[in-house]
Amino acid sequence: MSIEKVNDLVIRGKAKLVPAAVQEALDEGCSATDLLDTMIAAMDVVGENFKNGEIFVPEMLISAKAMKKGVEVLKPHLATGATGALGKVIIGTVAGDLHDIGKNLVAMMIESAGFEVIDLGVDVPVEKFLSTYEENPDTKIVACSALLTTTMPALEATVAAVNAAPWRSKVKVMVGGAPITQEFADKIGADAYTPDAASAAKRAKELVS
Amino acid sequence: MLTAKENMREVIRGGNPDRFVNQYEAVALLVHPYLMSSPSVKKGGPDVVNPWGVTNSFPANVPGAFPVHTPDKIVVKDIEEWKQYVKAPSLKFSDGLWDAAKEMYNAVDGTKAYKASFVAPGLFEQCHHLMSIQEALMNYMEYPDEMHDLIKYLTDWELELAEGICSNLHPDAIFHHDDWGSEINSFLRPSVFEDFFLEPYQQIYGYYKSHGVELIIHHSDSYCANLLPTMIDMGIDVWQGCMKSNNVPELIKKSTTSRLTSKAGPRPTAPRPLWKPWSAAATSTSFPASPREVPALCTKAPTRASGTPSTSTTVRSSVTSWRTLRTPVCP
Repeated sequence: MSIEKVNDLVIRGKAKLVPAAVQEALDEGCSATDLLDTMIAAMDVVGENFKNGEIFVPEMLISAKAMKKGVEVLKPHLATGATGALGKVIIGTVAGDLHDIGKNLVAMMIESAGFEVIDLGVDVPVEKFLSTYEENPDTKIVACSALLTTTMPALEATVAAVNAAPWRSKVKVMVGGAPITQEFADKIGADAYTPDAASAAKRAKELVS
Repeated sequence: MLTAKENMREVIRGGNPDRFVNQYEAVALLVHPYLMSSPSVKKGGPDVVNPWGVTNSFPANVPGAFPVHTPDKIVVKDIEEWKQYVKAPSLKFSDGLWDAAKEMYNAVDGTKAYKASFVAPGLFEQCHHLMSIQEALMNYMEYPDEMHDLIKYLTDWELELAEGICSNLHPDAIFHHDDWGSEINSFLRPSVFEDFFLEPYQQIYGYYKSHGVELIIHHSDSYCANLLPTMIDMGIDVWQGCMKSNNVPELIKKSTTSRLTSKAGPRPTAPRPLWKPWSAAATSTSFPASPREVPALCTKAPTRASGTPSTSTTVRSSVTSWRTLRTPVCP
């Protein structure tokens, strides 16, 4: 019962109630891994609802926040690295672009799906993407966002630099942002494009499976 | 031939405009003492803290300024204690400053263009400038009472600003900036949006309307098709920046029909003509009559006609003109 309650509270974005519910479930003998899995499953539902237009950005944000609160309670009970078991994702908005809400949503959904996210923020120069990968060679995905038509060339330059890196075969490149299309992603040599945060999390899981 | 202003009025009223006009030919964007006295961030220059305490940054390699929301710069650090953090700036200005603004308004030929006071940011934007957009969006859901109180505080400030503008400058239009969505959806669920923003905007726009303002031009270059009924109820006359993603032809058809049945009873369902900004070619088109209840939609052109300024460029130009004027008036 408690595990279903945690699932329900994450879907409904009840960040204040989730920590106690997770603790209660642990006290009742639920395993930390099962609880983590149920929260990830809850976020899958949230992502699907968002993609289908049934919920809006605030609802998705509070669900991600609720999951984060739950994970904080779970962490001491999980093996090291369990919360980011799917691997590292480097994410950032490309140089010349200060838009962050879309990138942040993708980061939250990807983190909620079980990845460890290294968020480089906005206006990220190409060199920063490269050096961050070099500092984290176990990274599975580099995700780049551009919200402006004027920063699409910066996205192209970023992907080109990653494509030219000697470690390119070890990493997948995802791109997104309002003006980006599958056609553009194909043209610049990205591995994946998704139109929204929920699809990004789903696609990220597919890319590393 | 009609003046650009007369032409636009014909469009708004469903009359007989004689051509498409360029957007800012019919609307002169003008500033007021609050904007004139607020420090503006310059491209490539240092960050600037505005009178609300919001830090704005405009790096040289980006097209526009943005509020900074690193933890040390966020104004509202705790929404439950927002009154500790949010202090509305004074709206008391010297006579010299008002005189300089009046000079700017007097310089516009009111027969050719609307004298539009530019007001930004709007209530939604001000909320997220003060606390970051993510926190603001979550707070609408998690702390609705506090957000209602904050919006009321911001509304009261805007009403005081409106009082100063109307009593001193007598604009016949307001160009009010508040982006309510991304390209593909509104940020808030329509019912939530209505709950937080309908009444405050009815107060603000109602004040302007009852004090000599003919046109409320609201800028939101985003998807807002789902908010249109609320926008109409707010009193918006022109939705400026209406993006293609709103499926404008369908939107007009639907909203025209719904408004006609709910407000004006059965009338011909002729769609309101689009007032197309940035159209280079003047055309003599006969427009069908359309209901007053539906705002005119000013589409955001995918590619702006060469030499046509953006809103921000136009406002900056207005501020720059004023700064040139200011020296002898307010040394």
